[in-house]
Amino acid sequence: MRNSYMGTSEDDKTRSPAPSMLSYEFMCRTNPFTSCSFRMLFMNRPSSSGWVRAMDTRHGVVAITFLAFFMQVVVEATSWWSLAMNPLLIPEAYIIGAQPLCSQLAGLSKGQKKLCQLYQDHMQYIGEGAKTGIRECQYQFRHRRWNCSTVDNSSVFGRVMQIGSREAAFTYAISAAGVVNAVSRACREGELSSCGCSRAARPKDLPRDWLWGGCGDNLNYGYRFSKEFVDAREREKTYEKTSMESARLLMNLHNNEAGRRMVSDLAHVSCKCHGVSGSCSLKTCWLQLADFRKVGDALKEKYDSAVAMKINTRGKLVQVHSKFNPPTNHDLVYVEQSPDYCVQNHSTGSLGTQGRLCNKTSEGMDGCALMCCGRGYDQFKATLVERCHCKFHWCCYVKCKRCTRVVDQFVCK
Amino acid sequence: MAGAIIENMSTKKLVIVGIVLLLFQAFAFMVGGLIAPSPTTAVHYLATKCVDNQKGHLQGRKWFMPWGPNQCDKIRDFDEAMAKRIEANNIVFSVHIPLPNKEMSPWFQFMLVILQFDIAFKLYNQIEDKAMVTIDVSLAYRDDTVSEWTEMAHSLEQRKLSCNFTTAKIIENEGRYYECDLLPFMEVGTVSHKYYLVNIRLPVNERKKVNVGIGEIKDIRLVGIHQNGGFTKVWFAMKTFLTPSILIIMIWYWRRITMMTRPPVLLEKVIFALGISMTFINIPVEWFSIGFDWTWMLLFGDIRQGIFYAMLLSFWIIFCGEHLMDQTERNRFSMYWKQVGPIVFGSLCLFIFDMCERGVQLTNPFYSIWASDVGTELAMAFIIVAGICACLYFLFLCFMVFQVFRNISGKRTSLPAMTKARRLHYEGLIFRFKFLMLVTLACAAMTVIFFIISQVNEGHWHWGDYTVQINSAFFTGIYGMWNLYVFALMFLYAPSHKRYGDEQSSGDQGGNSGEDIQLTTTITHADGPTEVYRMMGKESQE
Repeated sequence: MRNSYMGTSEDDKTRSPAPSMLSYEFMCRTNPFTSCSFRMLFMNRPSSSGWVRAMDTRHGVVAITFLAFFMQVVVEATSWWSLAMNPLLIPEAYIIGAQPLCSQLAGLSKGQKKLCQLYQDHMQYIGEGAKTGIRECQYQFRHRRWNCSTVDNSSVFGRVMQIGSREAAFTYAISAAGVVNAVSRACREGELSSCGCSRAARPKDLPRDWLWGGCGDNLNYGYRFSKEFVDAREREKTYEKTSMESARLLMNLHNNEAGRRMVSDLAHVSCKCHGVSGSCSLKTCWLQLADFRKVGDALKEKYDSAVAMKINTRGKLVQVHSKFNPPTNHDLVYVEQSPDYCVQNHSTGSLGTQGRLCNKTSEGMDGCALMCCGRGYDQFKATLVERCHCKFHWCCYVKCKRCTRVVDQFVCK
Repeated sequence: MAGAIIENMSTKKLVIVGIVLLLFQAFAFMVGGLIAPSPTTAVHYLATKCVDNQKGHLQGRKWFMPWGPNQCDKIRDFDEAMAKRIEANNIVFSVHIPLPNKEMSPWFQFMLVILQFDIAFKLYNQIEDKAMVTIDVSLAYRDDTVSEWTEMAHSLEQRKLSCNFTTAKIIENEGRYYECDLLPFMEVGTVSHKYYLVNIRLPVNERKKVNVGIGEIKDIRLVGIHQNGGFTKVWFAMKTFLTPSILIIMIWYWRRITMMTRPPVLLEKVIFALGISMTFINIPVEWFSIGFDWTWMLLFGDIRQGIFYAMLLSFWIIFCGEHLMDQTERNRFSMYWKQVGPIVFGSLCLFIFDMCERGVQLTNPFYSIWASDVGTELAMAFIIVAGICACLYFLFLCFMVFQVFRNISGKRTSLPAMTKARRLHYEGLIFRFKFLMLVTLACAAMTVIFFIISQVNEGHWHWGDYTVQINSAFFTGIYGMWNLYVFALMFLYAPSHKRYGDEQSSGDQGGNSGEDIQLTTTITHADGPTEVYRMMGKESQE
């Protein structure tokens, strides 16, 4: 159904994004980065609505809807997630000739490329963050029919992400969280030049520089940078207010935010007393990032309680079932039902569960009955070679014996 | 001699003095809340894992830099080390303080570093019970970015690992991190150099059971805490302003006392001693820490504070005792040994504890009394004894305050029997005495409340565009408050010039003035600073 509209309104495809993009580019060229990117948020909305009104009169809603969808297919084919896969991301490469590298990186949107040029040293950590996010996603979904598997190096997850499902919601959230985590961590390692006493964080009237008031709070920096970078992609797109694409855009922004908030919510405060004789008359506290596994666990819970949304006539996301409590900033939202992950389907991007290992005794999602979608399973005898009776040092030294055992493995038909 | 100024002052003047003091108090809070930044900053450092490629031990220590020119050979994680067959003994955790492009400054006053291990759970390589980690640490400094590092300290330290794993210990949860307590790492009393470098090794020796069974360490993190330069500046400014104020009032007070014909009574001496200890705390010797490398400044500050607290607590006891209004003669310090004893003993305990911790840190900044079992028990013993002393003291104090109030209400009942003018006067006296008691109580309550707020609160409040630094306001406000308290005490309790008898004779008729003369001559011991004594003496006469 979607494909049948792909060819319509070819002439609009080239023209339509121009006004909003131009205004954004103009703002960026005349302003230093921070104000540009902040301005971007405000600029986009009025210009987009203006454009929508103009188009309305000429072509009508349907044309734009599908035109916009077509654009999305083209653009979303690659994603910044590809940074996680990109072998180019070695720090040395940035030092030599960083400028061309940003354009070489596949999957970055226009705004993201600009950010890449301004903050070249951050790219490696964004890649790392994406990688952490994907790894965590795969851990959390290892027993699910959809197991967060990556498909290729450019689109990363394939077409599955084009559906605004719960799974997409989780993926966006966890990768945004991964970036916050990685950037904050890099801050702490002192790897990022603009981190720490970043100028944007300082109130204008107070001389709170390093000597005066110190500078800490890497988490805040990680949060803000992640917001700029990850959301840039969504922010530079404009769709008709009530369209499905607009709903998807809002959903992505919401889930990105939920992921980022999860990192800052789970960061816990540690304190140290160091007053007179070590009493607590002087106490210093700082935020400490949680183990990323905990972020994954918490987001998985949010995935299970994700809220189905639809877009209303005013262009806002509202609940499908209004009797429940409305989702907060910390909840995940989705706008489409998940596709059938049981069988391989090229149009949805589902890989199917054929060939997946399952657990014969389990009654959960990893049990053979559910995992194999009733198709049955094959049994294998596998010999596992394991290390056992090991002696460890805290690092780098393990002396083990080898033990072998034969286990039954079940694979979905 | 007549009474103290507080008795002879009109209510109007008293109110004016109160308002002026309150204004200064508000100012002290505002200085901290609005001008000063938060008192301290915590900066995170993640140790860079360097590889020591040196074969054998060359002469001199090699320093490993985490970044910049001459940086060490780094590894990202220990899987890489495993692949490259690097041994644990060749791994050096390196931390440069501060972060790149920053420099430390003497304005930071002190530097406190906390150690944290990131230890991943591995089913077959768990942290053993009572695991001790042995760290080989060295600290170096330099003052420019190119010169060689100079060693400051080197030590082999032990720290107790107290980690717990919150989820189930099953294979599924491998790779999750333990939750480990913060470990004290280092404390330096001055920050006189620009750059510091910490190199940490975790040597493994299987035969001696060194660093065995400490789990799979993934990362070492340090948190560096230092005072903020801005706060130091505000603090110094405040001290520099307060020193002459207290000093002047102290000289004025002592001049008043020496001008009298009788020798000073105990309470007057105690108030003067309180003034001296306040001045001792106020004198801004910290200015020298900007120019000199005086590591003992932190310890010195503790001692000064300790002396002041001990003095203040003793003053309260003596103040209450001298107002007891029973017929016992006190006016001697030895009368109060029972109450002052716990204060002295408790302060002494804390002093010994402080010497054990901060005193030893003068020579070895990595020393921590909490690191060893014996040390922990000893420290706890000192603190518990000090705590018991504090409890004992407060019991005494509360009992004495109760006694004072009981005696006052006892006197109240006999007030109607007096002549009108005297009654009014005594009522005023009781009111002012209670007023001062209330001020003391209010000050103590303010201290406690602000302390609790600063403990519970996250440190700053946003109020419109302003950020109010609660912790800074706490420090400057409370510091200012006790200064004003001492100031007010010396001002209001200084002997008055006014002839008390002159005023009274106009009100009382005839015989009373004779009684008055008799009072001053017979009840010499009651010739204390307050007229309450005088009243008490009168009662005994009547």
